[in-house]
Amino acid sequence: MAAEAQPERKLSRVPDLAGRRALVIVPAYNEAETIQRVVRDLTRHAPWADVLVVNDGSRDATAQVARQAGVKVITLPVNLGIGGAVQTGYQYAYQQGYDVAFQFDGDAQHRARLLGPLAAPILAGQADLVVGSRFLRPRGMTASGMRWVGIKMLSALISAAIGQRVTDPTSGFRAAGRRAIELFATEYPQDYPEPESLVLVHQQGLRVGEVPSTMRRRLKGVSSIRPFHSVHYMAKVMLAVIMDLFKAPVLVKREAV
Amino acid sequence: MMLALNPMSGIQRLTLLAVAAALFFVTFELIRKRRLREEYAVLWVCTGVMILVVAILPDILFIVAGWLKLSPEVMMTLVVILFLAAIVLHYSAVITKISDRMKGLTQELAFMRDEMERLRGELKEAQRTQVDPKPKPPSLRT
Repeated sequence: MAAEAQPERKLSRVPDLAGRRALVIVPAYNEAETIQRVVRDLTRHAPWADVLVVNDGSRDATAQVARQAGVKVITLPVNLGIGGAVQTGYQYAYQQGYDVAFQFDGDAQHRARLLGPLAAPILAGQADLVVGSRFLRPRGMTASGMRWVGIKMLSALISAAIGQRVTDPTSGFRAAGRRAIELFATEYPQDYPEPESLVLVHQQGLRVGEVPSTMRRRLKGVSSIRPFHSVHYMAKVMLAVIMDLFKAPVLVKREAV
Repeated sequence: MMLALNPMSGIQRLTLLAVAAALFFVTFELIRKRRLREEYAVLWVCTGVMILVVAILPDILFIVAGWLKLSPEVMMTLVVILFLAAIVLHYSAVITKISDRMKGLTQELAFMRDEMERLRGELKEAQRTQVDPKPKPPSLRT
């Protein structure tokens, strides 16, 4: 019985693309140690999606390792940071006419088998940008101490800003539909891209959604949000988000395809 | 209203004139040698004009200081600080513009390098299989 249930469970993880094409954007900066694992996870658990590794000016063998693992790699000649790297992925997705684009970290903290559920609201036409939230269900991850307070405050601010509940605004596990891809190819925030992009998407009249998700502990490297700096970080993010509310709208330039 | 509350001495005015002249000269020379663009020279020319005005008509400084109930020294210091702050703000805006452009160029360069590698691969493949050159160039992805 268990053997019967297993394939069905797996099948339900495969999204109903109906001819639409999906791209997984993997921003990677000096991730040679983990990138192979990430790519293997993706090709095994999400074979229905193409993979693009955006090598953000790494000084290690990230690009070679990813290419050997058999995926498309685009190398930025200088390091642009996570915002610029992810935007490069969205520009590629836009140019190549992908219908769904995922953001998937190169440090192996995201799970490829959760990409299907992440894409579901987009494929159903219910949202333009979907965030995989670690805090949406009770058994989800809990952040420690100051970080928990910071994330709570930030989600309260963003929820108020976009008039809808968002539980995990700093999650980088996301799926974007055609309209969000088009927007991000033109304009993507550089300073604190995860929370700021939610405000941007809302301001452009696009819909934000959240689905429960889980993440692994980091294999190596540290979060860009270090605990001791989390108060400082959150203050800066909140200021940036509040400023975003006053920014002039972006004109999305539509190129003839 | 009292005019010329505390007129500057001749030597003070001469020093200011010399500073203004030096600033104009340096700005002019930098533009002439193409080491400074006119766009960024505007602020420096404005600074020079301000110093020149104070050197020629020092009364203005004392009258305005009187209006603001500040001593001329404090007012001059404030003006200088505000001016330097304006220049720094201007440069922050310039840096933002430049880094935005650099980001765009970096992304464009990455795509072009990718495209070049793809075309190079296609060319190698065509040469290897001894296929006649195609009548039209390989399709470019847009």
